[in-house]
Amino acid sequence: MSIEVKNVYKSFLKKIVLSDLNIVAEKEQILGVIGPSGAGKTTLIRLITGAIKSDSGEIFIDTVKVPNMKLFSQVGYMPQFDALYPDLSGWDNLLFFGRLYRCKGKKLFERCSKLFHFYDLYEEKDKLVYHYSGGMKKRLSLIIALVHDPQYLILDEPTVGIDPVLRKKIWDDFRDQAKQGKTLIISTHVMDEAEKCDKCALLYKGELLAFDTVEKLKSLTKSNEIEELFFRATEEQFI
Amino acid sequence: MIAIIIRIIKQMLNDKRSLILVLFAPIMIMTLSYFVFGESAYVPKIALIDVPYPVVQILEAQNLEILPQTGEMDEMLEAETVDGVIYFESGEIHLKMYELNSMKVSKISKEVLQAIKQIDPNAPTLQIEYLYGDSQSNTFDSIGYILLGVASFFFVFLIAGVSFVRERTLGTMERFMLSPIRRSTVVAGFLLGFGLLAVIQSVLVVIFVKYVLGLVIAGSLLGVLVIMILLAYVAVAFGSLVSTFANNEFQVAQFIPIIIVPQIFLSGMIPIELLPLGIGNLAYLMPVYYACNALNDLMVKGAPFVEVIPEVLILSGLILILFIANTLLLKKYRTI
Repeated sequence: MSIEVKNVYKSFLKKIVLSDLNIVAEKEQILGVIGPSGAGKTTLIRLITGAIKSDSGEIFIDTVKVPNMKLFSQVGYMPQFDALYPDLSGWDNLLFFGRLYRCKGKKLFERCSKLFHFYDLYEEKDKLVYHYSGGMKKRLSLIIALVHDPQYLILDEPTVGIDPVLRKKIWDDFRDQAKQGKTLIISTHVMDEAEKCDKCALLYKGELLAFDTVEKLKSLTKSNEIEELFFRATEEQFI
Repeated sequence: MIAIIIRIIKQMLNDKRSLILVLFAPIMIMTLSYFVFGESAYVPKIALIDVPYPVVQILEAQNLEILPQTGEMDEMLEAETVDGVIYFESGEIHLKMYELNSMKVSKISKEVLQAIKQIDPNAPTLQIEYLYGDSQSNTFDSIGYILLGVASFFFVFLIAGVSFVRERTLGTMERFMLSPIRRSTVVAGFLLGFGLLAVIQSVLVVIFVKYVLGLVIAGSLLGVLVIMILLAYVAVAFGSLVSTFANNEFQVAQFIPIIIVPQIFLSGMIPIELLPLGIGNLAYLMPVYYACNALNDLMVKGAPFVEVIPEVLILSGLILILFIANTLLLKKYRTI
């Protein structure tokens, strides 16, 4: 039930975006993909989901090579930009994606209302997404990734633009999901979220700066803060 | 697939303006063209030369003003005392006009043909000549059926193309392509979802032109509907294909002069065999050409449905080809 990224290279327009990446995400754990903008986080996430192909190297989900039709139903993906239909209500957006994952009938409706309640969107479910605020769209997008109760959750900056109270609630939910035996990969550029992960992959300019447990990474620093590793990387560049 | 169809219908219902555009814009265009090209209060003035008496009697009952012959045929036409002259020569009926004016020609030939068909349903069509200018064409009510085909194709193409591009720019396409859905199912869902809308549009516009504008549909009404619906499906598939090469809505609009305008010119409005340099052969690549051809047969010539089966097959084949092409193009989003 693990996700393995092996020797992956990816370039866009002759510019190397990811080079020789090796990462493993374990079951019951949250893997954080941490890095500043342009580090290659989204590229990595999209490679894992199968949206794009690597130039070389392989990615396995539960020993099955990506992309694979059967895997799609076990993976929940939340893209960085809310891929939602503004001319549909939040409820209809969720139903549409739910049906694509072959959820049906009463079960689908129950699942949808449970998720809407949990993420405080139930009152707004019949509004067109066009009228949603940024935070509401973000929550809806997250709900869509969860609708088919996937084994693997791959979330690209899921908490951007969400207020601190709800953010804590969402991270508690991520932890619950992990405890239930799910595998989570979450990208973020917020350092305090890194501490909520089990392991972190630090990306900087397409290269893996470090990949280890949060405690181990902290022990490498003087300030006990992971961001120090990035500051160091930036400084080394100028020397 | 059902999920996609339901979604498209819901989106349409939420976007009333686009819905109204698709459903009523063709009707508006047909109405406008009705007034611009069509059945004005104009009553053609004609003279008859050597026309058998029974034909004269029937022609008098038509919506024509028959004037006595006041001189030589060409003199009358030159003086414009009459719009056209009907004469019989070696068993054929001839119509001679001052110059090519499709509205006048079509009006006269329609009235005369109606009359002749009462006597002999198998009567040959009119031989049309012009005092000035020459045309082999039998410009018989050439505007109505062409606009019918073009307008319907254009709006469905536009709506479908823009919807697909929006889907791609919003990222929803990438998102749902990562669900366990087959590429062919996606294309079929789109086709049927927008196709449903296209069917409603076709039925509405055909009924409107027949019963409100009184456009003559001489042949099978069902045949006309079948052709219109097939053309609408081609338009959806075409819009989807073209949108793959556009990055935003405006770029879809840029395809109009490339995709739509040539189809209007090569729809058969101007006989393609008359075009120089073999340009007319391009028409064989145009779906609208086949549809207009079939519509011409059905509406103007009153052909039975069996006669347009080749066009039905060609349009169906086009839909199939475009379906496969679209399915392959979705590989851009998912390699399997």
